[in-house]
Amino acid sequence: MASGVLKQTTGLTGLAVVANPHHLLSVLYGKILRTIQKMPSSAAYRNYTEEIIKVRAEIVKNTSDVKELERKIGCGQAEELIQQAENELVLARKMLTWKPWEPLITKPLPNQWAWPCTK
Amino acid sequence: MAACILRQLSRGIGFAAKFYGGTVSRLTHGEAAAVATETRPTVRKFDAIQHSQLTDFGKYVAECLPKYVQKVQLTSGDELEVLIAPEGIVPVLQFLKDHQNSQFANLVDIAGMDVPARQYRFEVIYNLLSLRYNSRIRVKTYTDELTPLDSAFSVFKAANWYEREIWDMYGVFFANHPDLRRILTDYGFEGHPFRKDFPLSGYVEVRYDDERKRVVVEPVELAQEFRRFELSTPWEQFPNFRDVPAAAEEVPVDPKEKK
Repeated sequence: MASGVLKQTTGLTGLAVVANPHHLLSVLYGKILRTIQKMPSSAAYRNYTEEIIKVRAEIVKNTSDVKELERKIGCGQAEELIQQAENELVLARKMLTWKPWEPLITKPLPNQWAWPCTK
Repeated sequence: MAACILRQLSRGIGFAAKFYGGTVSRLTHGEAAAVATETRPTVRKFDAIQHSQLTDFGKYVAECLPKYVQKVQLTSGDELEVLIAPEGIVPVLQFLKDHQNSQFANLVDIAGMDVPARQYRFEVIYNLLSLRYNSRIRVKTYTDELTPLDSAFSVFKAANWYEREIWDMYGVFFANHPDLRRILTDYGFEGHPFRKDFPLSGYVEVRYDDERKRVVVEPVELAQEFRRFELSTPWEQFPNFRDVPAAAEEVPVDPKEKK
């Protein structure tokens, strides 16, 4: 399974080293993808997030070394990737309730964003 | 196209290119000549890569959240602003904080602005910082004296005191705030000082009254009538900068354009 020793520390306060980042990441990415499937296929958020997560999931599946994984994804350490995936999952679940892909909910008044302000 | 990887790479490349001067290859010949000759340290230089990154990200946000984003603009050349409907405060802030491509996890400030001429006179401005991508963004909403806004406390804990300050200074009420009370004004203070119709010296002054042996609050009495100094000169001050671009440049967001 692991081809090397666990690193000693992440270097970040409060972020503990995890022993099985591949497992956690694949679980989280799976959950995110399943949540995303429930959104309409025309939603830009769904398409972009799906792209990102699928690319990362591919890399996680094909790379067994943690350092190599971190380098390939290029977004910080494995523990940080896990945190980012958790954040994205929370966001995706909330997006299901908010439905941000619908058209604009309130149009602004014509002078609302005009600057310098004229009546 | 792996937009995210491209974004991360472009952000990385952008900074590397800035460092190694690799921006020249992306500019036209005329611009390259203009950039090459601009060496004065006091003149602001135009960074084409940062400009394109910011406009791209502005379009990305508008594409992902069309329900709330009303307008996207670039202020002063390099400050991205997303102008949203007041219903979308929590969704937009949550998106900017949690999404992979944004990760604006740091709430720098929540500011307020009062423009009495508008129907929705108060603007609430959220400044965010992304440590992962080293960039900043501004989210602006609007409201009037009576309509409450959603508190950003559920997204950013730092919003607690900032929203208390906006309540105290402007009178903007935040729904679902854990503890909305005054923070800067005195305990029995009436009024919201940052509003434009609140006078500079206020309405009341306090003094210690020796007869009553306590501090009393009385209407303000100025020794001299209020003097207004007109600080802007009637003559043109910077003839070399007559054709500067407008303060805010709108990022065109085409809703019909789909990738």
